[in-house]
Amino acid sequence: MGKKKIGIYSFSGCSGEQLVILECGAELFNLCDLTEIKSFPMAQSNNEYTLLDIGLLEGSITTERQKRELKEIRSHAKILVAMGICACFGGIQSMKLGEGGWKKRFQKVYGDEDKLFKTMKPLESKPCNAFVKIDYYIPGCPIDKKQFLHSITHVLNGSSPYLYQFSVCTECKWKENDCLLLRGLPCLGPLTRGGCGAACLCYNIPCVGCWGPAEVLNVPSEYRLLIEKGYTTEEIQRKFRKFGGAPMVECLKKIMKQSNYSATKAPRLKGGI
Amino acid sequence: MKRIFIKSLARVEGHGGITVKIDGKKVKDVKVQIYEGPRLIEKLVVGKSPEDVLNIVPRICGICTLSHRYAALKGLEKALNIEVPLRTRLTRDLMLIGEIIQSHSLHIFFLSLPDFLGYSSAMDMVDNYGEEVKRGLAMKGFGYRLMEIISARIIHGENPILGGFGAHPSQKVLVEIKESAEKLVSDAEKIVELFASFDYPSYVEYDTTFMALNPPDGKYGFVSNSILISTDEERSVEEYKEVIQERVVPYSFAKRSRYNGEPFTVGAIARINLLGERLSGKAGDYYKKLYSKRWLRNPFFNNLAQAIEVLYCLETIPKLVDKIMGLEEPVVKKPFKDAGTGTGAVEAPRGTLYHYYSMKDGLITDCDIATPTAQNLDDIERCLRTAVGNLLSKGIEDDLELKLEMIARAYDPCISCSAHLVKVETSNNSD
Repeated sequence: MGKKKIGIYSFSGCSGEQLVILECGAELFNLCDLTEIKSFPMAQSNNEYTLLDIGLLEGSITTERQKRELKEIRSHAKILVAMGICACFGGIQSMKLGEGGWKKRFQKVYGDEDKLFKTMKPLESKPCNAFVKIDYYIPGCPIDKKQFLHSITHVLNGSSPYLYQFSVCTECKWKENDCLLLRGLPCLGPLTRGGCGAACLCYNIPCVGCWGPAEVLNVPSEYRLLIEKGYTTEEIQRKFRKFGGAPMVECLKKIMKQSNYSATKAPRLKGGI
Repeated sequence: MKRIFIKSLARVEGHGGITVKIDGKKVKDVKVQIYEGPRLIEKLVVGKSPEDVLNIVPRICGICTLSHRYAALKGLEKALNIEVPLRTRLTRDLMLIGEIIQSHSLHIFFLSLPDFLGYSSAMDMVDNYGEEVKRGLAMKGFGYRLMEIISARIIHGENPILGGFGAHPSQKVLVEIKESAEKLVSDAEKIVELFASFDYPSYVEYDTTFMALNPPDGKYGFVSNSILISTDEERSVEEYKEVIQERVVPYSFAKRSRYNGEPFTVGAIARINLLGERLSGKAGDYYKKLYSKRWLRNPFFNNLAQAIEVLYCLETIPKLVDKIMGLEEPVVKKPFKDAGTGTGAVEAPRGTLYHYYSMKDGLITDCDIATPTAQNLDDIERCLRTAVGNLLSKGIEDDLELKLEMIARAYDPCISCSAHLVKVETSNNSD
């Protein structure tokens, strides 16, 4: 049996996922021995769109060209893995998704896009699953080295990766940190996907939610808690939407519809994926 | 008419391509296109708090994340009249040095070195150049370690906050960093010597202007409020919009810059050209030994300039750590006002990075960010045009695509990468 073919492809984002993979050291060289890497733009020349066993994606989709490329990669790949918050949920560039002001924002940065950029056709940022089927998700901003190696090992061997279903809160408890929410700080630990090792919390920094919404989470409960702590609805929405991407936009819409929501009756978001 | 089309540059950070149109022996047009999709970060931060800004703007780039954070901190703190204590400032300088070591090591070993040794990637170099690859990994890893202990993570750490740090690095990790830096100095010397051993071709040579921040007290460094220009002009960072004159071009999502209507260069090569005489220690010795007038005309020396800067950084770390450990751990400084404007600038690995913020009622009303690569793009185009012209006049047309890509990579552009498909189209039509 020949080596498995894998390809890494990058859309709009900070290239953080490729950088983490490059920082895998000895394991990266093991991966190179075990597979044939058909695309890894930051590390090698001669990258191609070709038949793949596993396609790995980073970044969100913000141009027509990227949308075409994503569909082409899907048509060649047996398994497609979205890596990082941009590919999984849309990233920070999706925080205002659905607010209708995208065109205005674009014009403020670049001028009138109808005259410019005729060939590149910019779009409002969306996660990869808005256009194609994604088989597995590795969250993070950026992804974690251990979770990446765990996931790629499983997928290469034909099994599903097991990533934390619970939130950063659990990891924070493992580290025996004092709860920042109890101190009145706006920590998003209860809502955010675990796997980062509660990195910020260990430095007394409240969780900003950068790994995106956890698999099962109680948004209304945290919403109410922060109101009780004295934060305004605007502040809370701003914080929730910063890294929440498309799934959080949907969830907040539902909460806003129920004027007298309660933590028990309000809808539970299932990660959106 | 011949058209050389490098659809997507590889081994650079980001998505971009180069199109060169050749008519007979003449270059008709050179365009560096950036397809990196627009993310509109400058407008996303409007209406947000300064704390939100610090979560958002570092995500512009996975490599220069802390440069963005540092420039934003400087801009926001200026706007809010926050003066941070010396220990906080020095610790921020230390984290920036970590990022410069990490970014330069990534560029010289993984993006650039394969070109000079004739490989497609650093992974392919392992069998014959294992030592070099190991050295590169160790150096890059050390840069990340330094970023991690200060910022809380290797990439996008949130520990540096408005007015200080969530937690200052402990004495124990500071000592660890100091000792590791001292051990890596000899490796850095080998890197400088390796890059000094290559022949840098002269077909890329042209005259240009250089720009870098001018650190106070005649020192070498990466942080200042004043811009030094190779025309002997000095300007305040507050005047950056006038100095670098940004504009939008229809074929690129990255903006372009000119100084007095002419392209200019920022980055390690600019810093060494403008400030190299200030280097001391081993970095200073290598500067004296290796520097020549060619550095002013040839962007390939940017690789060597980066190697010398890695050495400078490693030699600076122990001094910086000693100073930091001699100071009391300060508390976080809080703002006393909620409105104002401020421009912050730092030397990111690739050159001067500007962040401008305006605030009212504690929320951002305006933001402008000028990145080093956007400032370099016009000069990259000019250099490519010069090179193609020189090569064609000598009748050299072999490996033109590779040569052009090497030039673009020498500038270490950061346009965050897509597939690499070089396409050469030749036709007999006059257009």
